This record gives sequence, structure tokens and C-alpha cells, in this order.
Amino acid sequence: MALAEPMAAKTGTGTTTVASRARDWARSSPQQIAMRNKDFGIWQEYDWARTWGLILDAGYGLLALGVDAGDRVAIHSEDRPEWVILDLAAVAVRGITVGLYPTNPAAEVEYTLTDCGATVHFAEDQEQVDKVLEIDRSDIAELQTIIYTEPRGLATYDDDRLMAWEDFLELGRRHRAEFPGAVEQRMAEAEPDDVMTLVYTSGTTGPPKGAMLTNANCEYAIDKIVNYPDRLPGGKPPSPKDEIVTYLPLCHVAERIFSTWSLAGAGCVLNFAESIELVNQNLHEVQPTLFFAVPRIWERLHAGVHIRGNDASPFKKVWLKFAMALATRIGKAKVANGGNHTAVSRVLYAIGFPLVFRPMKERIGLRRCRHAGSGAAPIAPEVLEFFIGIGVPVYELYGMTENSAIATGNFPGRMKLGTVGEPYPDIGLRLDDETGEIQTKHAGVFAGYWNKPDKTAEAFTEDGWLRTGDVGEWVDGSHIKIVDRIKHIIITSGGKNISPSEIENSLKASPYINEAMVIGDGRKYLTALIGIELETVGNWALRQNIPYTTYRDLSEKPEVLELVSGVVEETNAKFARVEGIKKFEMIPKELDHEDGELTATQKLKREAMMSMFGELIEGMYR
Amino acid sequence: MFGRPNLYTSYEQESQIFSTWTQKVLAAFGILLLFLLPFDIPAITTKIPGTGWLADIPVLGRVFSWSIGDGIPLVRFLGDADWLRPMTTVFMLAIAALGLNILSGVAGQVSLGHAFFMGVGACTGVFLGGESSEALYGLGLPIWIWLPGAGIAAVLIGIIVSPVAVKLRGLYLAIVTLGLVFVGIHLGNTSWGRKIAGPPALGRKYPELDIRLWKEEDPLINVSDDGRWLWFDVTDAQKRYLLYLVLAIAFAFVAKNIIRSRTGRALQAIRDRDIAAEVMGVPEFKYKLIAFAISSFFAGVAGALFAALSGQILAEAFGLFLSVEFIAILLIGGAGTTSGTLIGTFFVVMIPQFVEEITKWLDKSEGPIGGTVGELILTDGSGDLGVINTSTVTPGWTLSVFDWNIVLFGVLIIVFLIVEPLGLFGIWVKVRNYWKRWPFSY
Repeated sequence: MALAEPMAAKTGTGTTTVASRARDWARSSPQQIAMRNKDFGIWQEYDWARTWGLILDAGYGLLALGVDAGDRVAIHSEDRPEWVILDLAAVAVRGITVGLYPTNPAAEVEYTLTDCGATVHFAEDQEQVDKVLEIDRSDIAELQTIIYTEPRGLATYDDDRLMAWEDFLELGRRHRAEFPGAVEQRMAEAEPDDVMTLVYTSGTTGPPKGAMLTNANCEYAIDKIVNYPDRLPGGKPPSPKDEIVTYLPLCHVAERIFSTWSLAGAGCVLNFAESIELVNQNLHEVQPTLFFAVPRIWERLHAGVHIRGNDASPFKKVWLKFAMALATRIGKAKVANGGNHTAVSRVLYAIGFPLVFRPMKERIGLRRCRHAGSGAAPIAPEVLEFFIGIGVPVYELYGMTENSAIATGNFPGRMKLGTVGEPYPDIGLRLDDETGEIQTKHAGVFAGYWNKPDKTAEAFTEDGWLRTGDVGEWVDGSHIKIVDRIKHIIITSGGKNISPSEIENSLKASPYINEAMVIGDGRKYLTALIGIELETVGNWALRQNIPYTTYRDLSEKPEVLELVSGVVEETNAKFARVEGIKKFEMIPKELDHEDGELTATQKLKREAMMSMFGELIEGMYR
Repeated sequence: MFGRPNLYTSYEQESQIFSTWTQKVLAAFGILLLFLLPFDIPAITTKIPGTGWLADIPVLGRVFSWSIGDGIPLVRFLGDADWLRPMTTVFMLAIAALGLNILSGVAGQVSLGHAFFMGVGACTGVFLGGESSEALYGLGLPIWIWLPGAGIAAVLIGIIVSPVAVKLRGLYLAIVTLGLVFVGIHLGNTSWGRKIAGPPALGRKYPELDIRLWKEEDPLINVSDDGRWLWFDVTDAQKRYLLYLVLAIAFAFVAKNIIRSRTGRALQAIRDRDIAAEVMGVPEFKYKLIAFAISSFFAGVAGALFAALSGQILAEAFGLFLSVEFIAILLIGGAGTTSGTLIGTFFVVMIPQFVEEITKWLDKSEGPIGGTVGELILTDGSGDLGVINTSTVTPGWTLSVFDWNIVLFGVLIIVFLIVEPLGLFGIWVKVRNYWKRWPFSY
């Protein structure tokens, strides 16, 4: 095995990287489980010895393919062990990993590959391989090798760039026999300033930009976030005893930190979900101790509890109703107390736990969850309150790709609902005096956008602080509340500044509403485009005996309109009069990444929406 | 994985018999209870004054002989031989039922001929284990030969029959196997059939359960007389109970392992769709043959145990009714499941006992409840209103307790087929799922 091999003489700085951390885990605890991947119905285990062996094979494979320091290795795949292995192998040979969203349509794949100029591309299956082969070869002349891991459907392909994953590993093993110690040599040469990955921003405005994160950025993130002791309840840092379910795209900085960097930094076990549809089932099986989700997932889990609750047998319904009332009270009490139990809530929880909360958490797969995070988008406070009420400690976090997601977080015992928490200790974080924009300056701030010096310059203030583009305000002097993206702030024709996302989130807190976009910039009053959640509304319609055919048909039913306007009125009651929504229209289709209405991270592309549904919007102002 | 019962990291783990610690502990506790059942437990042999009325409750008062006041201990389990024998019968029949479960429940081959194979086993057991005399055949071999020998003989007969059986499906298979039962009764009544089986009146000694190396005087382990095992005084009935219990556990373990192994999965594939199974590479003929062989072996062993337990075999005992009783066991317990089969056997054997017990109690009762109910449903055959005849002769339309038991089985089979095709096990699964899915319904 790899461990027995003599290490190459150390030259260079011996910088700690995710790859060297993986090597150290393999040395100190080779038998420990690093990853699990469900295959043929069984969670196949990868211990550290095997994982590191594969990383070395892949690393030598990359060397054999001629990957030099600073060369880009693109990965276009669902989350799977190969993702992590290739990522770490690329870092080991001082390459740069570029992640692509599995949902990226061919055009975006082409854009990313031409932009980053990758020499090696990993496309997991036929679907992803097709997207690359579609691209004119001369546009991506640097691309020498396309590695695939699922051969189904690829037997008849005769593109000379294609190479199977197994052949790639075999190539690596032969290369290792020929040049033993070459990867170790490369690892020893690593510098803190080496760019280790390009993380493409989702691009709500304009084309995606590749943010360059260096080894130093990554180490700072591992130090500040992953291993920050106060992040987890009881100050118990993450350890190899922690289980993580990896299911969000690994090319996103949040999942990278919570999965790959937690694996390398703290030895947490990664369990790869089979697919986004099967996450619920996989959660139930794995019962992770650490869990990170975007608000959309939290909302889905929350809605799932309601749907299944409504379908439960009458006796169970009675209990559920009782439990929900308890959860709301506990949630409110805990939230008011910084996330800690009060005497009353503790008693209530002790009643509810054996009756409903424990089995309910078991069913949704979060029974053993000791820390859950929500980030990447704003979340409705009601949803957080519910999960805190049933005993899943969810903390809202805030960060962005460009600062390695190191900005603020809510910590156990000090959380404040509606805020994104306190800045991590000893990092530079300030609010701009004029605009209120959050700005950061610390070792985690990225090295710039790939090939876009002008954009990089725009991202920094004159004194070198990173502009996040988010407007925030201090709450009680310690916590930060995000108002909105600077670009999204609506100034009505009356001159009033309104933050649409607060209103949108309040709307989206309803299980029936999936998508909401508040409009009103330069207008007399606010309007909204609203998209329903097909599952819940469909379920609701079924129980109301309302027949429907398609999504559009359902969203245009008068009963559904009534249901939605009820939600809108509820929301209006929560806000000032000028912030009230005067009119709304239903979005006639389910929004989709492929159609360009959403980014890969399911964020609304406002401009695209504006032009696509321009007539609907104008109609509301006539 | 501890605390994560659904996280399977290997197939071994996924197909464990008892997958969680709770299940393991409960199973161990259940087995321990079965071992303690035939004894009085001195530690809890205490009387509670004023609880004598409890003894009047049928079934419960017998199973747990609550203090009656004359020194009968609080918890007696089955120290009373009346209940030992039915329980021993349960274990014996359970072995046969487990075999039929593999054939009919797991492989889906309906067989009404199970009684026939039991009869083959019984005759072989008697022939190998019994002593010979002028009128009778017998080799007088020890248990480690006659018990497996009985199974193997049944397997051989099964293999002879199987070329026909394997080619048939559903009703046709049922009818052919039903034919076997009648052939069996006929053969058993021939002169040489009688020479093998032979009633006790002819001086027939039925195979002994004593464990011997060969035909030596003193057995290694004496099972047929009262004696001392380890530190306990054990009667012969208790010894038999324990031996049968051990055998039943062993066979249940084997059956469960067959079902969850490659063979079992192949049989299930054949059950669910034989053509599809063949397409997937499961040789239908081979596996049907294996199913017949396994089921015959279980039946043969059970037959020999039957002979040793009852001390006599009549060809008629292995008739249609026994076959139907097996079908009842499977349907009531839950076809295709090992635990269901065990529950089913217990149920089918014990129900008549309970019914009889209740009838006796009603007959004796003078109290307001027992007396009135007894008046209403019992009769001594003199023409009053009752429907259950307690006298030995059965005049007119009233039926004896035994006959009512047969009616009860018929009704139970119909009810289970309509309401709960998965049997008692299915009910258990439903109850379990109800709580497993708590607080949701799916």
C-alpha cells in the first residue's frame, strides 16, 4: 500500500494542504472510515488507507496525463467518492480543481471549460460526457483527457480523449511504479499561495466568475469554521465520530467546506447521498450528526412534515397537533433565550421528546444531529423555529465564495433569530458607513477572479476590503442582519428603500409557495410573482377535490389563487403599509436552471425573470 | 451499526436474523423463557393470599397457576404435565411446518402431501430406531442414526416424486400431492406397512430418544426416564420438552438461514415469477427439487419425532387432516416467514387446548357468568339448547369440542385469507409498522 512507500525527500515549504491532511489521516488512522457510498444497496466503506491509496493512484494518473502545477482539472459530476478523490489528487499535484454543477446545461459547461482552460475533465456518465463532446474541439484545445466513471452507454464512443476511471487509476499505478515518490515530491513543493480550486459563482447577474481559492484560504477556513470550537454545542469539535451526508453540489463552496474540508480537516465521515431525490431516505439511514442544508432543503423537510402529518391516521394527527403546539412554544422559548433551553421549554421538551420529537427526528433523519447549518440564502424564521422546537439545533450562517465562507455564524447559546450571527473571532469584518455593505478582510479572502482582473478590482474597496455586495445592519451590536443584496434593494417611485428578500422569505415560509419575486423598483407600489410548490398545493387540491392537469392549470385555479392571496395578506400584515404587496401574479411554469430562470444553486435570476415575464409584470401596473 | 439500524455497510449486516440489539436481547430472553417454561421457579414460588379466584380463570389459571392456597406456587409455568405435551407437540410440528414453509411459503409450491412425508419419516424412524420381533421389523439403532435417517428417507421419496411435481403448478400440484397422502395411507395399511409401524399391542417399541453411541446399555444422555440433569431434577416429560425445544430451535435456525441465503432468494424468485426467475439465471427445475428435498427432510425428521413422542403411529394419523393443519399453520401464521410459521404452529396446536380448557371450565362453573354461558352453549346431549356437546357420544346436530375445533380452523383460514393474507405475522408487521412510522403514517 501507499503507506509503506518511502516518502520523497522534503523540499519546498511543506505547506499543509487538504491533500497533506488526508495523507496524515491515512498514516495515523488507516483503518478509520473516511467515506461511504451507497452502491448495490449497501453503504460501501472507504477507510483512510484505501482512500489515500486511490488519491495517490489518481495523483500519479494526473502526473502521467501531464498535469503540471497550476493546471486545471475540471470535475462535472454528482457527489461521489471519485469527486473527493480527484479533488484531493489534483491538490496533491498542485493542480487546480474546477467544479461544475451536475445540472449545468451544455452551454454553461462550454463557458466554464473555455474560461478555465482545463486539461483534464472528469465527466461522470454519458449525460455529462455528451455535454463536453458537443463543444467544438478547437474551443477547448487544452482539454486532453475526459475521464468517465460510469461506462454505460459509452461503449460506442470513439473520441480519443475519453478514458475510463479504472484505466486512469491503472495509468497512475504504472506511473507510480516508474516514478515512485513523484506525487509526494509535488506535495512537498506546495505553497500557501497556490490556487487549489476555482469556485464558479452562481452568476445571478452576468456570466459566472471563477473565484480563486488558495491553500492558505482553505487552511484558514478549516481553522476558522471547521475546527472552530464554539461552533458546535458543548464546544465539542468535529471528529471522526461525526457523520455527514454529502448531497449538495460539491462545486459549491458551502458543501466543499462541510464535506471535503471537514473530511480532511477533522476526519468526519462523508456519506454520499444517492441523489437529491433520495436525500430523505439516505438521511434516515445515516442519521448524520452534522448537517448543512440550504433553506430550500429546510423548507422541503418542513413541508414534508406537514404533508405527512396531514396524511396521518386520525389518532396520530391528534398527537402531531399536540406536538406541533409544543414545538412552537419550545421553539419560541429557545429562540428568545439564544438557543438555550429555559426551564419551561426543558419540561415541555421532556414531554414531547419520547412521544413525538424523537421518532419524528428519526423519520426525517436528524435524530443524532448535533449541529445543523443553514446558509447560502435567507431562511424564513418560522422554519428555523420549528426545527429548533423539535430539537434540531439549526444555526444560520453567512459567508460567500469570495471569502471562503468565513464571515458570520450563529453559535450555540448565542443565536439570534433573523440574524446571520456574529463575525468569527479575529476576522476583519465591517459595515460600510454609507451603504451598509458588509466588507471582510482576512486570510480567507480569495486571490481574485480567474482571468478577470477588472472584476477582481471591482470586488475590493480602495483599502483592500472585500465587498460582499450584501447590505447588513448590526443587531444589538454583536449580530448581523442581512438586509438584502445591494443590487436588489428596491427604491419605489415614492423614494422608499425596501428590501424585497424579507418579504419574499416571508411568503416562501408558507409551505404552498416555492418561489416569490417582489417587484417595485421605480414603481408606485409593490407587486409579486409567485410560484406554487407543486407537491404541497397538489396535495392540498387533492384533499379539496379540485381536479387539475398541469402545473399551470393548478396555479391558475381560483381556489389556489384564493389560497395564495391568503398567504399574501398574512405577509402584508407583518410589514409596513408601503411594503405591502398590492397585486400578484402566478408564475405560469416551474422555474428551472436549464431554462435560465434559476442559477445552479436555485437562486432567481432577476433580470432574466424581468424580461421573461415582463408582460405579466407590466400588467400589474396598468 | 449501533444506533444506526438502517446504515448497512455489508450484506451480512443487512440480512442478519436479529439486526438490532433490542431484537437480540428480546430473542435471547424469549429462548430463555422457553427453556424455563417446564419448571417451577423456586425464587418466585410464593403465595399471594386472596388470589385464589385467579386459578379459576381458564387458560391463564392453568398456564400460570396462580396461588390456589395449597402450596401451588405463584408462577408455575408448565410444571404441570398437561401443558408440557402440547408444547412438545408444538416443537415437533414446528419442524415439519418450517419445512413446508420453505416449499409452499418461500418457493410457492402448494403441497398437500406434507403429511405423507411425515409418515415416511415416522415409519423410517420406527424401522431404524425400534426393536425387531417376529411380527415387526426394526434395527434398534441410536437416535443419531434414526433421526437423520428418517429425514433422508423422506428426501429420497421426495426426489422420486419430484420429477412429476416439479413440472406442475398451482392446483395440479396440490392434487398430485394430495394423491400421495392416500397412497401413503394405503401403503401404511398393507401387511408389511403394519410390520414396520405396528401398534403397541404387537409389542412395538418406538424409537427411544436416549442419546447413545451405539446399542450400549447406559445411554450417554438419558431422555426417557426421570433423572437429574446438571443440578436439576427433571422428569421425562420435561426432558422430552427440552430435547424437542433444542431441535426446534436448531431447525428454525437452519430454515431461517436457508431462506436468507442464495438458495432462499432463488426460491423466492421462483415463487414470485418462475419464468422471470429462469430468465435471471435461476434454474427452476434444480431449485424446485431442492425445495422439495428440504421440505421432505424437515417433514421426515418431524415424523420420526412424532413416532417417538406419541408412542404409536397409525397410517390414518398422516391423512388429509394433518396436511390441512399444516396449511392452516402457514396461512394463520404467515406464509413465507419463519417466525410466522412458529407462531402459527403454536396457535394451531394450542387453540384446541384452550377451547377444551374453556369448555371444561364452563361445564364446572356455577358462577353468574360461567354458569349462564355454560348453560347456553354446552349440552350433555340431552337435547337442550347448547351447541357444544360435552358427552362422549355425539347425538344429533351438536358437535363435540374436537369437531368445533375443525370448524374453527376452517373459519380462521377463511378469515385470514380474506382479511390478512400474511397471517398473524402480517398483523404483527402492521402493528410494528404503525409504531415504526410514528408520528406519520408513511
